[in-house]
Amino acid sequence: MSDFLIHVISVSCIYGILALSLNLQAGFTGLMNFGLIAMFGCGVYGAGLVHRFGLPVALGPALALILAVLMGLFLARLGRRLSTDYWGIATLSIAEIARIFATNLEPLTGGAQGISGLPLLFSGLRPWDGAARLALFAVILGVAWLICERLVRSNFGLGMKLIREEPQLARALGYDIDRIRSTVMVIASVIAAVAGVLYAHYLSFVGPELLLAPETFLIWAMVIIGGIANNRGVIAGAFAMQFMMAYVPFVKDYFALPSDFVAAARLMLSGGVILGFLLLRPQGIFPERVGGRHDH
Amino acid sequence: MIEAQDLRAGYGDGADILNGISLTAGRKELVTILGPNGCGKSTLLKTIAGYLKPRSGGVKMHGKDVSTVPIHEKVRHHRVGYVPQTDNVFRSLTVAENLRLGARGLDRATTARRYDALMEQYPVLASKQGRKASALSGGERQILSLARALIAEPEILLLDEPSAGLSPLMLHEVFDAIAGIRDSQGMCIVMVEQNAFEALGVADRAYVLSLGQVAIHAPARDLLADPAMRALYLGGHVA
Repeated sequence: MSDFLIHVISVSCIYGILALSLNLQAGFTGLMNFGLIAMFGCGVYGAGLVHRFGLPVALGPALALILAVLMGLFLARLGRRLSTDYWGIATLSIAEIARIFATNLEPLTGGAQGISGLPLLFSGLRPWDGAARLALFAVILGVAWLICERLVRSNFGLGMKLIREEPQLARALGYDIDRIRSTVMVIASVIAAVAGVLYAHYLSFVGPELLLAPETFLIWAMVIIGGIANNRGVIAGAFAMQFMMAYVPFVKDYFALPSDFVAAARLMLSGGVILGFLLLRPQGIFPERVGGRHDH
Repeated sequence: MIEAQDLRAGYGDGADILNGISLTAGRKELVTILGPNGCGKSTLLKTIAGYLKPRSGGVKMHGKDVSTVPIHEKVRHHRVGYVPQTDNVFRSLTVAENLRLGARGLDRATTARRYDALMEQYPVLASKQGRKASALSGGERQILSLARALIAEPEILLLDEPSAGLSPLMLHEVFDAIAGIRDSQGMCIVMVEQNAFEALGVADRAYVLSLGQVAIHAPARDLLADPAMRALYLGGHVA
């Protein structure tokens, strides 16, 4: 397999994990998180900060998890006071605030220059390091998928779907919607942070440009294209979007377009996919399976 | 079974909607709450149910203070059933699935026994078990939401305008079902209603609210018999 293909599949796996995280929130629980990238940021900066201050690499995931749990709880807490629409806007704002902090808190985060030189995973295994990383990412994606599947098929998962459909009625049936929301946000945030740690050690770099809002919308496009509330579908969506993104530079070269074209085309691709699917096939390529059994 | 004392409640930072309401409801009793739009009927039921915390005063159920206990805990630990006015079924689920949602916490054998009993009690549901709830008529949805609340065998049942949006024929069917629950299962039922005459026809006692206070508290049959009360609070004409 060529290095390019290994790279695209590796990044697809990381984005697949992110798509699963968003799917738990938006797909199954109806929590329209437009600031998912802040949860991802907990992971990338968890790994980055540990490296910057010379701490053992193994502390990176631990710091990322702590930040992710706090972020999840904070966003869930915010959801108690705001209606769904306003909460969605608030998450977008919080992600932007997190990015601005990352850009301006230079002594801590390295500012706009970011933090570079993070240890590359399996660098000692050259020339097989790329394949080893891909295998690791694929295994973690599989574990994340398994966790998400078990969760949504449990009685807890039924509660998630009832909250999505009729939150007040779910309460009247004995479901504690605040607790369910908090649990979902924490689990989803931890999953996104795991993707962040992997990405930081894959790029060997952490910077505020990783937290740009369009990244969240790219993940939304993956979920919408694949099929909202379908875990396999959103992973397929992540791969489809990543492959499309990866081939944009080839299109640019083929038509001899200016280099600005790549960034613009990627943004247009995200927006176009979201718009096209919402208008023509809102259920995505793989629609939600309705009426599945839940374990009690 | 239910004892609400001097309740004051409202939404957010807004003014009090309930201005010191006291109410009692006992076992084997159907109490209805009546009054014009905006008088605080649904707010009172939501405060008793636990959707809304009282600003002052208190609510007791089975003799225990449950003023700050949220609805989901009342349903799970205090044997309370609540049927909202609208959006009271999960439309994407079947009748059977909707019904089983009410059996949360019950073992499989009890759920099956209660399920079968309810199917016998409400033949209209039995013939549509596999259909999506979205395919039911308004009255059938009300019956389904009632049955779902009953599957857990609550001791207290709170109903928010069960006749909302129903045809006259279905209205009688729903009220008959509610009276049947009181008579056969000895439940304590508190029902908010707009259809005053029909509600008084099945209720034991009534509270008529006005501007967040109890204007009249009387046995239902006395209210029905009093033309002055009818004129003042119940729409002014005899059914």
